[in-house]
Amino acid sequence: MRPYELMVIFDPEVEDRAVEPSLQKFLNVITTDGGTVDKVDIWGRRRLAYEIKKKAEGIYAVVNFTSTPATAQELDRQLGINETVLRTKIIRPEDQKVSAE
Amino acid sequence: MAKAEIRKPKPKSNPLKAADITVIDYKDVALLRKFISDRGKIRARRVTGVSVQEQRKIAQAIKNAREVALLPYSGAGRG
Repeated sequence: MRPYELMVIFDPEVEDRAVEPSLQKFLNVITTDGGTVDKVDIWGRRRLAYEIKKKAEGIYAVVNFTSTPATAQELDRQLGINETVLRTKIIRPEDQKVSAE
Repeated sequence: MAKAEIRKPKPKSNPLKAADITVIDYKDVALLRKFISDRGKIRARRVTGVSVQEQRKIAQAIKNAREVALLPYSGAGRG
């Protein structure tokens, strides 16, 4: 099991209210495979630095979770298939630390 | 006879030490903006004054932020 951080950008045409339930549906795969969802943070609408699929803005959400690498990969695959998801990114938070002397 | 002058460059202040930052987060756009130029290019280490290890983490964080459209690949489409 490893800690992961997932960032999802949803299509701006999705209603704000509908974002959370649809994200939760995707996150079910983590809990059914024995992982845990630690934190869900929905940023809301934000301007994109450049257009993605001709869209100038997107709905950002950040999820911290713990799971096996295979589960994280499966979650990323399922999100990629969905058409309301503009972009996803999974990173490992421990890679961001700067070694303090 | 002019003596060869030895130049001592002034040591740069490390902007990360000043801000007391231990985790370089790709979501922290305000911090990363300090390390890119107006055109969106990553500033060189001799400009930023951070350590090799820190520069590497900063560069990676900027690239991650670009992938999720938090930072531009090139400045405002004019680049």
